[in-house]
Amino acid sequence: MSLEKPSRDTALDVGVTEDGLDYDALADLLGGHILDREEHLNAEGFVIRPDEVQEVLSTLKEEAGFDHCACVTAQEYDDRYESIYHLRKYNDPTQELSIVVPSPKDNPHNESAARVYDTADWHEREAYDLVGIDYDDHPDLRRILLPETWQGHPLSQDYNQDQPQIVSLREHANPLEDDKRSEDDPDTMFVNIGPHHPATHGVLHVETVLDGEQIADLEPDIGYLHRCEEQMCQQGTYRHQIMPYPDRWDYISAGILNEWAYARAAEDLADIEVPEYAQVIRTMAAEMCRIASHELALATFALDVFGDFTAVFQYGIRDREIVQNLLEDLTGQRLMFNYLRLGGVAWDLPEPREEYFEKIRDFLDDLPHKLEEIHDLVTGNEIFQMRCVDTGVLSPEQVKQYGATGPVARGSGVDYDIRRDDPYGYYDELDWNVVTEQGGDNFSRVLVRLREVEESARIIEQCVDLLEQWPEDDREIQANVPRTLRPDPDKEIYRSVEGAKGELGIYIRSDGTDKPARFKIRSPCFSNLQTLPEMSQGEYIPDMIASLGSLDIVLGEVDR
Amino acid sequence: MQSAPLPETLANLLGLDPNSTAVMIVLSLVGAGLIGTLMMTNTALAGPWAKRKITAAFTDRIAVDRIGPYGLFIIVADAVRLLSKELIVPEGADRPAWDLAPLIIASTALLGFAVIPMGNGIHLADPEVGLAYVFAVASTTSIGLVMAGYASNNKYSFLGGLRAVAQNLAYEIPLILTGASVVIFAGSLQMSEIVAAQQQSLIGPLPSWYAFVNPFAFVLFMIANLAEVGRNPFDIPEAPTEIVAGYQTEYSSVYFVLIYLGEFIHIFLGGAIIATIFLGGPAGPVLPGIVWFLIKIWGVFLFTQWARSAVPRVRIDQLIEIGWKGMLVLSLANLLLTAVIVGVTV
Repeated sequence: MSLEKPSRDTALDVGVTEDGLDYDALADLLGGHILDREEHLNAEGFVIRPDEVQEVLSTLKEEAGFDHCACVTAQEYDDRYESIYHLRKYNDPTQELSIVVPSPKDNPHNESAARVYDTADWHEREAYDLVGIDYDDHPDLRRILLPETWQGHPLSQDYNQDQPQIVSLREHANPLEDDKRSEDDPDTMFVNIGPHHPATHGVLHVETVLDGEQIADLEPDIGYLHRCEEQMCQQGTYRHQIMPYPDRWDYISAGILNEWAYARAAEDLADIEVPEYAQVIRTMAAEMCRIASHELALATFALDVFGDFTAVFQYGIRDREIVQNLLEDLTGQRLMFNYLRLGGVAWDLPEPREEYFEKIRDFLDDLPHKLEEIHDLVTGNEIFQMRCVDTGVLSPEQVKQYGATGPVARGSGVDYDIRRDDPYGYYDELDWNVVTEQGGDNFSRVLVRLREVEESARIIEQCVDLLEQWPEDDREIQANVPRTLRPDPDKEIYRSVEGAKGELGIYIRSDGTDKPARFKIRSPCFSNLQTLPEMSQGEYIPDMIASLGSLDIVLGEVDR
Repeated sequence: MQSAPLPETLANLLGLDPNSTAVMIVLSLVGAGLIGTLMMTNTALAGPWAKRKITAAFTDRIAVDRIGPYGLFIIVADAVRLLSKELIVPEGADRPAWDLAPLIIASTALLGFAVIPMGNGIHLADPEVGLAYVFAVASTTSIGLVMAGYASNNKYSFLGGLRAVAQNLAYEIPLILTGASVVIFAGSLQMSEIVAAQQQSLIGPLPSWYAFVNPFAFVLFMIANLAEVGRNPFDIPEAPTEIVAGYQTEYSSVYFVLIYLGEFIHIFLGGAIIATIFLGGPAGPVLPGIVWFLIKIWGVFLFTQWARSAVPRVRIDQLIEIGWKGMLVLSLANLLLTAVIVGVTV
């Protein structure tokens, strides 16, 4: 609820010291399991045997308090495959540890972490799908982004891009035919919700088994919007060619937040210092994006619960439109901003500056009244409360198991916000609060978003004050960055920012060229979506739809 | 206000013999045609144009305004567009049930208008069981919904059809019980009698419309009517974000028009029943009766559109719970109370 960090559970503080993690203490905890220790820019990496993954990870989770498996990165080297488990702690994400698991080149396989962290289930399926590592003891190792019939693993070195891929419709002929789940029980019915359905917010396919109107079983099937974003980033140069891509992950108005994720990772990788003035502009623009994104989340959630494109949807869009105009004035674009640069931003605030500040202040002045209106119409409505309170409940334990972040985690009372816990930009200089709700239901998630809009407005207001008083001769928007950026070879970094949907992380490994050797995106929606089956089992279809809406997924970011 | 039913008026107007059966049959058909055309004209105005304009007004938009004055010619454009679309018949559809369903949905609602007194002598028939007849034909729509639901060979349609039946069952009983409380007041099921009973003054200039005499029954009836016509918060048989479009998922082209038409006529029939038994039928000052009558049914239409724009949808189990545990009990209580009051005072 405030900028004070939550108190720590001292029993799980192995190696925690005043100035960061003492990795030697952690190494002592793991003892003989550690084969080697690597230096990554964000944390140390412990190299372990591929058949001891579960043992090591459960020790770290239970005894050292690493309760957040943020991401699983898989990659192929010339002599080996490698999976990296990026571990952090929910109560202090600056305490990071990478577990590096090499596996042999000819038969890459290592033990799955899905038994320890539920979130590893999908992350490892993705690693299997794109890189080709087999995970032993994985509950359900199938392709996740590509069609079942795909041949080869696109991010592996021997992948033949010219090989024709035949995706036969036969494979997807009739989902009923091989549907064991409904054959066993004649009272159930199998329904494909999506990929074309009014409530799936894009091309999500939810395979659902219904018992009457209730959900007996459910499985999200993703990958319809997979556009090889990671591979495209690996083929672009750091300096200029990658920045436009992040706009296209969470493409509905969270562009600057995404760009900042890449900017933060790449700037830390190449050791670029961003001028303070640019940081303030970034912070302001990012929070505008957050407002736009949360307004749209509310609008589409109302669409799911109210039924049609009704008043609430239009009000949400109307308010978002104003932010969109402000961002357009700033960046020249409405959605695909491409405004951040490594080491700064593309250009200064629009002239005349006073007029622009006036516009922002007008918007901020009107905002409380508009939010009041939304509260009257939506959260104050008894039918809305009837629908949303105590439906789609997600406990804090489930949140941590599935690596859910952002408003989804904060709606379940998990006080986790990268902006405060792992500060970047200008956030730690400003006065604002992290919003949490204890309910864990659909209603809490909506409330969190609405109140975060207020907090973002506070941040923007302070940024405007700062920018207004900024001395004219000190308005430096761009640091000195070489025209061609070549970070030193074999540096690895995982850095995240608080995107609109949660922890948006980027892993980059450099190889001395001007392009990343491995570019991995940790999408918050990807992890958040995994909680859908937990939330909806046994509930009614409308509640499942509402839960899906309250997760606020963007398929562009889930599938990448 | 009492006037002869429409066929007799027509006979007198044309100088034909009102006692001849052949003449009456022909004139009844003519009258039915006239009333049907009147209601369908209203529907044509409501569906493609008024609904858009009203929703737009609720949501700070402008809506259609390019073709004709206030965009009115969109009605013609939409008619051409909808009728010229391809009719797609789903594989495995159960015909002819699939083809009959839209006809049933559209026609049953239209039948109800036969006994509604619309003022200025526009009243096709005035049987003694008028109100019972209206409820009966309005209820047969459910058959059409079930047929559409199961015959489409689509799971969403199937779910929608089942939802529609569950909802209509749960809300028709309170609807009819509340209607019965009016019958107790009026002492007759005959529509003209019910209208006539509302013409005295209640207090001062306020007429003794049953909406003023028994506002509780009026509110109950309005709510049950929302469920009956399937508008928010009770639009769950269609529930676009849950089950795509419910029973009408697989219908396209003319069949889609028929189902949509049926829905709108149903809303207007609901409005007509409310106007007749709660709002004094065509009664009103200055303007002719038919105008007042249309104003009243459009008022009810406006109310359904308002609910649609501003109220969330309840869940199916909540809907059934409200129906059987709330509305039914309240409407029974209302019926008993009315019976007691009428018994004591009369």
